[in-house]
Amino acid sequence: MKKQSINVKNKLGTSGKDSDKYFRPESKEELKKILEDYTDELTVIAGGTDLLVANYKNLYKIEKWLDLNWLDSFKEIKIFDDKVEIGSMVTHERLDKLDQIKEHFPVIQKAAADVGSPQIRSRGTIGGNIVTSSPAGDLLPTLLVYDAKLKIISKDGERIVDANDFFTGPKQNVLGDGELVEKIILPLEENKSKGAWVKVGKRKALVISSISLALNLVFDNDNKIKDARICVGSAAPVPLRIEKAEQSLKNKKIKKVNIAEIAQIVSDEISPIDDIRGTAEYRRKVAYNITKSALQEVINQ
Amino acid sequence: MKISLTVNGEKRALDVKPETRLLDLIRDDLGLTGTKEGCGKGECGACTVIMNNKVVASCLVLAAQADGAEIKTIEGLGGKDKLHPLQQAFIEKGAVQCGFCIPGMIMSSKKLLDENINPSEEDIKRGLSGNICRCTGYVKIVDAVKEAAHKIKSGGEENV
Repeated sequence: MKKQSINVKNKLGTSGKDSDKYFRPESKEELKKILEDYTDELTVIAGGTDLLVANYKNLYKIEKWLDLNWLDSFKEIKIFDDKVEIGSMVTHERLDKLDQIKEHFPVIQKAAADVGSPQIRSRGTIGGNIVTSSPAGDLLPTLLVYDAKLKIISKDGERIVDANDFFTGPKQNVLGDGELVEKIILPLEENKSKGAWVKVGKRKALVISSISLALNLVFDNDNKIKDARICVGSAAPVPLRIEKAEQSLKNKKIKKVNIAEIAQIVSDEISPIDDIRGTAEYRRKVAYNITKSALQEVINQ
Repeated sequence: MKISLTVNGEKRALDVKPETRLLDLIRDDLGLTGTKEGCGKGECGACTVIMNNKVVASCLVLAAQADGAEIKTIEGLGGKDKLHPLQQAFIEKGAVQCGFCIPGMIMSSKKLLDENINPSEEDIKRGLSGNICRCTGYVKIVDAVKEAAHKIKSGGEENV
């Protein structure tokens, strides 16, 4: 690379658009045109906090970049009467700091606050977290407990997929060539709900979860649990809803719930592996403990 | 490809490759070597700069993504003649050992104090959680940030 002294006055250039290896569409129309022309060759970059790490020292091998950072419409958060739509390019930092997220989806806010570091949260996006599809992706369990749907677009059209059906394996999902996640659709619950988020890792910050748990309980007018959702991260090939435990929670008052029994179900239902972040045995024990603490947290709220 | 951006208040135009990182642009093209490369993977924070009022790991940002951006590096804070209160406080509190992490530490601290001039110890730790010091000098670093906040508050606007 050419060295330049600090004092050299450079000629002002035009923009970053003039490369046939780097595309930065600023509208959906431009995006679709690029997808039509180059679908197979594109590497999509959102926040870059995973992509640039995975390709460290090999960035030059990437044939064609498709940078979603210039699509303002992908950064919008829209609030409707019955749902909230979060653009896939919304960063963790915004999810952490926005009052609307804290009010309606506190479990997402807490998980976003636990992601990486200020430097990672300022760049990393909810869409990137979803599409990377790591079993340890911190936002993924929280999306599943709020029954999120994903709007997927391509040059040919669009489709809606339940977040619960999106993940198919470690770093694998249902996206086909040239498909992108445009937004996340979260239904707004009429009834009162309470939730909890627990992340366990070897440090407090900048850590990949050894195991995580998101809990969301919806209560009816008699204060009975109308709907229960529990999802565990880093404990199976995909973020895993524990339906058996959810069923046992339904139609009960929270104070009548046998917490140890629910915790045992969660511990039994996950299918963890041994890896550098913990053994399967460790994860089963911790799953038991964090289920208890999450339920206790909701009781105390 | 050509991009233009503002670095420490000065407008710059450069030719970059798609794979050029913001860190490479800052160090190699602009010669601003105060910003360090530690891990290159967003974990150590040595390459932290402020981009459009956000702290970023410049190793995880493409130069092309900084087109039109406003960047602040450690060189933009203060020099030998007039140190920024953060730089002064880091010296006074003995917060610097080998020094490699300090430009990143100071840029994260700058962002923290820009947003909250009365940070609690917990706020400081969280604000600096993306910056690693392997000389293990965090106690004095936290002290230095507290001292800098004090200096800025008592020194008024011209210090910042």
